[in-house]
Amino acid sequence: MRVYVVDNGGQWTHREWRVLKYLGVDTKIVPNDSPVSDLKEVDGLVLSGGAPRVGIDPEKMGKNGDYIDAFSGPILGICAGHQFMATHLGGAAAPAKVPEFGKSVVKVHQPDVLFEGLPDQFEVWESHNDEVTMLPPGFTALASSPNCSVQAMRHRDRPLFGLQFHPEVEHTQFGPDIFRNFLKVCENST
Amino acid sequence: MTFDAKAFIAEQVEAVRKGVSGKAIIACSGGVDSTTAAVLASRSLGDRLLAVYVDTGLMRKDETNDVARTLKELKVNHRILRDEDEFFAALRGISDPEKKRIIIGNKFIELFEREAKTFGADSLVQGTIAPDWIESGGQLRDRIKTHHNVAGLPANMKLKLVEPLRDIYKDEVRALARALGVRVAERQPFPGPGLAVRVVGEVTPDRVGLGVVGEVTPDKVGLVREASAIVEHEIEAAAKEKRLTLPWQYFAVLLPVQTVGVHGDLRVYGQTIAVRAVDSIDGMTAVFSKIPLDVLDRISTRITNEVPGVNRVVYDVSNKPPATIEWE
Repeated sequence: MRVYVVDNGGQWTHREWRVLKYLGVDTKIVPNDSPVSDLKEVDGLVLSGGAPRVGIDPEKMGKNGDYIDAFSGPILGICAGHQFMATHLGGAAAPAKVPEFGKSVVKVHQPDVLFEGLPDQFEVWESHNDEVTMLPPGFTALASSPNCSVQAMRHRDRPLFGLQFHPEVEHTQFGPDIFRNFLKVCENST
Repeated sequence: MTFDAKAFIAEQVEAVRKGVSGKAIIACSGGVDSTTAAVLASRSLGDRLLAVYVDTGLMRKDETNDVARTLKELKVNHRILRDEDEFFAALRGISDPEKKRIIIGNKFIELFEREAKTFGADSLVQGTIAPDWIESGGQLRDRIKTHHNVAGLPANMKLKLVEPLRDIYKDEVRALARALGVRVAERQPFPGPGLAVRVVGEVTPDRVGLGVVGEVTPDKVGLVREASAIVEHEIEAAAKEKRLTLPWQYFAVLLPVQTVGVHGDLRVYGQTIAVRAVDSIDGMTAVFSKIPLDVLDRISTRITNEVPGVNRVVYDVSNKPPATIEWE
């Protein structure tokens, strides 16, 4: 299986690549201005987090919009990738009232394939100034933390997922399980 | 699947062999990354490799002797340089942490280019690992801090850069080091700019008169060096007694904050040491270590009694993020 990581300039982009590599996936980090035609043979995409703030400098998100529009396989947006997915599809992201850095706890409200086999509450690692403030049409919120109501979302029909927290870092509990679940979705849709 | 050290060694020994046509020098601090890279590159290049270690005057207690011993044991062709005066002179008057890092990076390269010329090398091997280039930033990625081995390199550097560990993290480097029989495999990380980033503010070796009247305090680097040695000794002793699991990293930082204390019924206006200890796997996220209070108590008492001029010790309870592991 081939899953690429789109680099939006995150501190943990390379960690996403490492987790996928450890899970035995054929993976590569690609710049976020790679043409969508380069992704023909790819089974899934991870849109990384990054320094760009999607509300302030969306142009730094390169061709992420093209991927969301034209890539037919599953997409997992993380942090900035998640916020961009929301704004691109008609939702909104804005500076968070309480930005989260470091340790937090998420509660899963809506069971989903992404959290299969996980407890409804677990510890995660955060690093964000902005957050999703309005879900895009067709999306459901899956999880929240005390200071952020959309910690996870997914599209009801298309395999589009967004996570505000960082499943790729060592200190997030069940991180590799979340990636494994995403890979199952990738496998089933090819 | 996890990290396959054997496959990685085979792959990178071949890559270094292909990447270096003539001779190479390797910048070696004696830490896990550069020592492992030196052993790896030495397998590819043999006598065509020269490891260069620089004593910047910013090293820990007994570090230079220890590194010399390690390189000798590993049978890596090497050279030890002592250039502390040059480093201190370059750092005079500088308190901005990024400027410190860049000055040190430039100084290193100046020395390495000189050594490369003498040795006839056209390549520079470095033990750069993933967090070094990630945190140094570039293009979209924000610069968190300048790692001297990445962002400290001049744009017009003539040496060809070879970095076999670029895509791996510390836990993977340790696995590699164990597979290569490197003695320092479990050594705690120590930053390239050394104690310069553990003295918050200016790194002058000649500040005087802060302790008891008439008494001269040691230089700031000497002070943080002594305090760090105490932190290391006490935490390692407690780990040996199984009182705690050895943290990923543990050290002292000298703060640019003076506070009031009382020594022998006399007022003192002394220095503050912050103790930092964190648990991590890859250095990209970290939590502060839950050191037993009596161990902290011992560290505090020893530092304030044994390191002249220090009358206050604080413990850093920040995680990464939002903080970083080092203070600068």
